[in-house]
Amino acid sequence: MNRTRASVWLIAAFAVVATMVAACGGTTGGGTTNKGTIIVGGFKFPESSILAQIYGEALAHDGYTVTYKLNLGTREVVAPALKNGDIDLYPGYAATDLEYWNNKAGEATGDAAATTAKLNSHLQSQGLVALNPSPAVDQNAFAVTKETQQKYNLSKLSDLAPIGNQLVLGAGPECPTRPYCLPGLQTTYGIHFKDFKALDTDGPATRAAFKNGTIQVGLVFSSDGDLNSLGLVVLQDDKHLEAADNVVPILRQKVATDEVKNLLNKIDAALTTADLVDMNSQESIQHKDPDAIAKAYLEKHNYFS
Amino acid sequence: MEHGPFLAYVDPWINWDWLATHISLVLGALGEHIELTAIALGAGLLIAVPLGVAAHRSAGLRLAALGFFGAFYTIPSLALFALLIPFTHLGGTTAEIPLIGYNVSILVRNVLVGLDAVPRDVLDAADGMGYRPLPRLLRVELPLALPSIFAGLRVATVSTIGIVTITALIGLGGLGSLIDKGLVENFHTPLVVAMILSVALALTADLLVVMAQRVAVPWARPV
Amino acid sequence: MDFLLLVGRWLVDPAHWQGSDGIPTRLVEHIHLSVESVVIGALIALPVGITLGHYGRFGALAINISNAGRAIPSFGILVIAFQVFGLGDLPIVLALTALAVPPMVTNSYVALREVDPDIRDAARGMGYRELAQVLRVELPLAVPLIMAGIRTSAVQVVATATLAALIAGGGLGRYIVDGLATQDYVKTAAGALLVAVLALATELSLAWAQRLLVPRGIRLLNAPVAARATAFKVA
Repeated sequence: MNRTRASVWLIAAFAVVATMVAACGGTTGGGTTNKGTIIVGGFKFPESSILAQIYGEALAHDGYTVTYKLNLGTREVVAPALKNGDIDLYPGYAATDLEYWNNKAGEATGDAAATTAKLNSHLQSQGLVALNPSPAVDQNAFAVTKETQQKYNLSKLSDLAPIGNQLVLGAGPECPTRPYCLPGLQTTYGIHFKDFKALDTDGPATRAAFKNGTIQVGLVFSSDGDLNSLGLVVLQDDKHLEAADNVVPILRQKVATDEVKNLLNKIDAALTTADLVDMNSQESIQHKDPDAIAKAYLEKHNYFS
Repeated sequence: MEHGPFLAYVDPWINWDWLATHISLVLGALGEHIELTAIALGAGLLIAVPLGVAAHRSAGLRLAALGFFGAFYTIPSLALFALLIPFTHLGGTTAEIPLIGYNVSILVRNVLVGLDAVPRDVLDAADGMGYRPLPRLLRVELPLALPSIFAGLRVATVSTIGIVTITALIGLGGLGSLIDKGLVENFHTPLVVAMILSVALALTADLLVVMAQRVAVPWARPV
Repeated sequence: MDFLLLVGRWLVDPAHWQGSDGIPTRLVEHIHLSVESVVIGALIALPVGITLGHYGRFGALAINISNAGRAIPSFGILVIAFQVFGLGDLPIVLALTALAVPPMVTNSYVALREVDPDIRDAARGMGYRELAQVLRVELPLAVPLIMAGIRTSAVQVVATATLAALIAGGGLGRYIVDGLATQDYVKTAAGALLVAVLALATELSLAWAQRLLVPRGIRLLNAPVAARATAFKVA
């Protein structure tokens, strides 16, 4: 039965070719100097990828071998990855990270320096360190549509307390367990929503839900680049539920050499919230890639000269 | 700029600039997709054929295999991935176990149907000619069962290519990662490209199986 | 083993049985989406398949529609529906209905084709006219395969409805998707178990319904293994 054998060979050949194609599809990056390897991780939203790329590309330019593990997930994924060395660095947010690493002890305040110092006190025993917080801030923010704002005459979150039971809140599935999300709105502002809809963390589903009225209040990020063009208005956090969520790199002490620290602190010092908004809108509206956006940012600020 | 359903500006369904600058991303996803599919099909065949032969001999095994794999086939892939994650973690193994299982479900049926369909007088003739059981299986029964096996392989191939897209939800690449990118970034192009490539890949793979069948089983026209 | 205990505890926790994220709510959402899609799909697919099968026309189309349906990624269809129609039940039901149609068309076409030509001739000879022939002679004989097609569609719709959670839909898939997002693998496993049970229940209950509907004599004719005209798995 030669034909049978032939067909078996054909299928085997196909499988081999397929595997080769797949193997060739992968690329290996990295530089050729031996200042050491740094693995940069990021959360699963575009701003985190952009920040991770900014740190990573600057380090790579400086001679480190940088690999990326972006879009890992929520902090529940990223933080353990840092702890056990799967990644060496991630761009954190001072207040939210503090409340994660201190097991929701409620220590974060609006003071970036104090919050970061508190964060370091918890990180040190884990072999980790947070560097200087940047002036750039990205906090949880709660938005409503222009129509909702006008209908109830809203300007700040306290305005929601009396009408909470007529409104539906939409956010990512982690919101009900985050102190700066649903629980915080309940305890700090006394807002009890009619319902909570699990959508995505500041993504297209949240925006679509605004559009078709499934939700009236939604979680967005204060540095989003597309809120204005979508007719969404952020309500002021008048009772300061959201604390100092300044961008701060969090690294393993093993890679935190003076050179690395100085470079990252230099980048952080020059980063502003307006920069974040601008870079986010490049991603969300123009669909540019995080690495291209990061490169453009670094070139504009002469880090590559 | 026009206003779309919920975007500030309308995205064309295919943004050719983006495609031109992201060819390697797309090809990488395609390559990974092919790899996942090939492994699932190869392993599926390797398990289904011996299992089918054994089940053909033993009524008890036949019942057990069809029952187990019938139930397995009913369970949604995302559910199986979710059940496996705590044990095999995120990655290729978690993806392949259900994919291989589905292929075995399809193929073992076809092996059985194929073997069942071998006419009694052919078997008698083979016995009369002095064939021992194993050579009779390899040289008479299985070749006659090939049309049925190939029919199953076609279905399994196309099915697998479709289900591999869901593995993107447990972090694997493949064309599903482009679909996910389109979803998360509110971007049409990777989604449309992934859909087109997925269908094209399925059609091509189906054609390859048909061609292989023409080579292996020239006397039977593929259905 | 510890893990299974955690999942078990999650499933019996009374907090998980109430509210808008409770098991009853999600189960009802899932069933509602699935039933709606299969019924609408059947209303489209069965008349088409039966008619084509009765007249023996466009056979290649009827058979290949399942091949096409299998080739289109279900995940992708849902996302396209979302990007075109936004949030809500409409895009989900549209996508699920599109997936439900192919197996029912193919199975009902094949079912009608397989009616013995002699029986057709006999019916014609007895004076049955077109519609009566279909309804009274051919359909009863075709019921097994038609039911198999409905069963296949239903199970695939239930499976794909799990993915609806990705486009902010409800249903049991919510537990899996939310659990994956927050790395709560107890939740994902619990949701997965619920979905698996629902899918199996759908298959078994429709198989039982098929037994009820098919006359005993015809049931004995059918081959035990090849019980469907086509296998169809998209999720």
